[in-house]
Amino acid sequence: MTIAKHSTDLSPAGQPSRWRVLSWQVAGLLLILGLWWLVTDVLKLYPPYVFPGPKAVWTEVSYGLWGTGPQDGKLLGAIGGSLRRVLTGYLLAVLLGGVVGLLMGAWLPLRATLGAYLTGIQSVPSIAFVPFAILFFGLNERAVLFVVILEGFIPVALAVSGALLNVPPALRVAGRTLGARGLGLTLRVLLPASVPNVLTGLRTAWSFAWRALVGGELLIAGVKSLGEQLEIGRNTANVALVLATIIIIGVIGGLFDTLLRAAETRVRRNYGLEVPQ
Amino acid sequence: MTRLTIPTLLTLTLLTTAAAQDVQTVRLGFFPNLTHAPALVGLERGTFQKALGKVKLDAREFVSGTTLTEAFAAGQIDIAYVGPGPAINAAGRGMPVQFLAGASEAGAVLVVRKDSGIRSYRELAGKTVAVPSLGNTQDISLRHLLNENGLKSRTDGGNVTITPIAPADVLAAFAARRVDATLVPEPWGAALEAQGHRVIGSEKTVWRDGKYPTTLVIVNAKFAQANPQLVTAFLKAHTDTVAFINRSPAAAQTAVNAQLLKLTGTKLDPRVLQRAFARTRFTTSLDLAALTEYARLNVEAGYARSAPDLTPFLRR
Repeated sequence: MTIAKHSTDLSPAGQPSRWRVLSWQVAGLLLILGLWWLVTDVLKLYPPYVFPGPKAVWTEVSYGLWGTGPQDGKLLGAIGGSLRRVLTGYLLAVLLGGVVGLLMGAWLPLRATLGAYLTGIQSVPSIAFVPFAILFFGLNERAVLFVVILEGFIPVALAVSGALLNVPPALRVAGRTLGARGLGLTLRVLLPASVPNVLTGLRTAWSFAWRALVGGELLIAGVKSLGEQLEIGRNTANVALVLATIIIIGVIGGLFDTLLRAAETRVRRNYGLEVPQ
Repeated sequence: MTRLTIPTLLTLTLLTTAAAQDVQTVRLGFFPNLTHAPALVGLERGTFQKALGKVKLDAREFVSGTTLTEAFAAGQIDIAYVGPGPAINAAGRGMPVQFLAGASEAGAVLVVRKDSGIRSYRELAGKTVAVPSLGNTQDISLRHLLNENGLKSRTDGGNVTITPIAPADVLAAFAARRVDATLVPEPWGAALEAQGHRVIGSEKTVWRDGKYPTTLVIVNAKFAQANPQLVTAFLKAHTDTVAFINRSPAAAQTAVNAQLLKLTGTKLDPRVLQRAFARTRFTTSLDLAALTEYARLNVEAGYARSAPDLTPFLRR
């Protein structure tokens, strides 16, 4: 919550260009792939059923994503199922978190009770809720959605209520002076002022929801999902499929995080909290 | 993600290879199921330990072929009782595995919940069916059974939900109405039946008139190469145990129950055990034709892209 004036973001000198960062990232990736290939396919330090090489993993990725055989394309279906599930859960979590956060921000008793409990619940790994969710909803998608929503709404609620409370007093005073009161003050002054911090909460909520999703799907098979692909890979001694699925989970999680981070940066710049390099 | 995965796997493999190859003990893997009765009876009667002499038998119980295969791949298990599904997968992925002998045939039944209203295979449409684990022997059989009846799993675009539940937990899942049916190995089928649930697929109608392997004995090929006498001794103990089971089923059932009590803390009703026994055949022979067909079903179920030639994996 520090205002950017005091942070290092403003330092105009010494910021590497975007292309330089990107080229280092590509080089790093190639280095990792090279090392992986060296250890597995060239030196054969590990048997392929323990640690398959990049080629075997790539085969699984390609069959799973654009293979045309009767048993191919399963990873693509899994990605579709998982994305649909996480987006549904995430949207519901954002709605729920927004409402709960607003209420907590506006009303001390709720903040003092629920706010404190939510921090506690947030510290419980999402996978711990799965057995309860299965008992409550059965072995189905709703159990997965429950875990996703539960994990996703807490960071949103905490971010919204926190952001409302941390709006600079000057804005509050200014709003009052101009005649805004109660709900009007919240909606027209406090909420717009909170947007940058709320966005940070949304980004955290995304990564929580994504992790909760894969955890839930691992235990609730029977629906097309990345979790099920992990489970099948494990059960059929297909480590290449396990690694392929892990990579896909990481790539999707990272892509969404990058998108949300870009949105966050843009908003922070618009609010004058960050200066473009 | 690769950044995280590589060091983790490296550490894991280093740890497991360090623990491998200790000729002072023979590490045996098995499940507490009736289809693994030769393991249970052999342990209860001390037959294996006697045959191994001074070499200590370290018997480890597993709940599914998955964890057992993982332990096998990591070199933590030398000999194992396991279903053909995991055994074929291990062979297909190039693990050092040898098929030593058969252990049991048939012994898997399709049970439906008493209030599910299902009377035939076709009525499984739209229902949830439990199997011990995805990709295991019963799962592959179930997918074939569905296929033959014009049905498909939900993940293959059909409307039958296949969900993995450990056999011991299926009774609770039935009671909670979480699943409608299950393809399980014995004694869980008989145990469900004792609670009023109905068998709609007997061990004979599930596949090949009941002439299919349910449990095999596999051995780590490297271990077998390094310790041929131990493997021969174990194989003889296994053969003796199977002969004992077929000669004195009543005594074998008592032994199974005694071992189950030690492993799981619960005993089965003798009548349940007897019924489960009647549906399972114990044998040491390996039907290569049936296994090969099984490998083909594994491909049909989508768990492998090609069926491996199993001949090189048989122990001569």
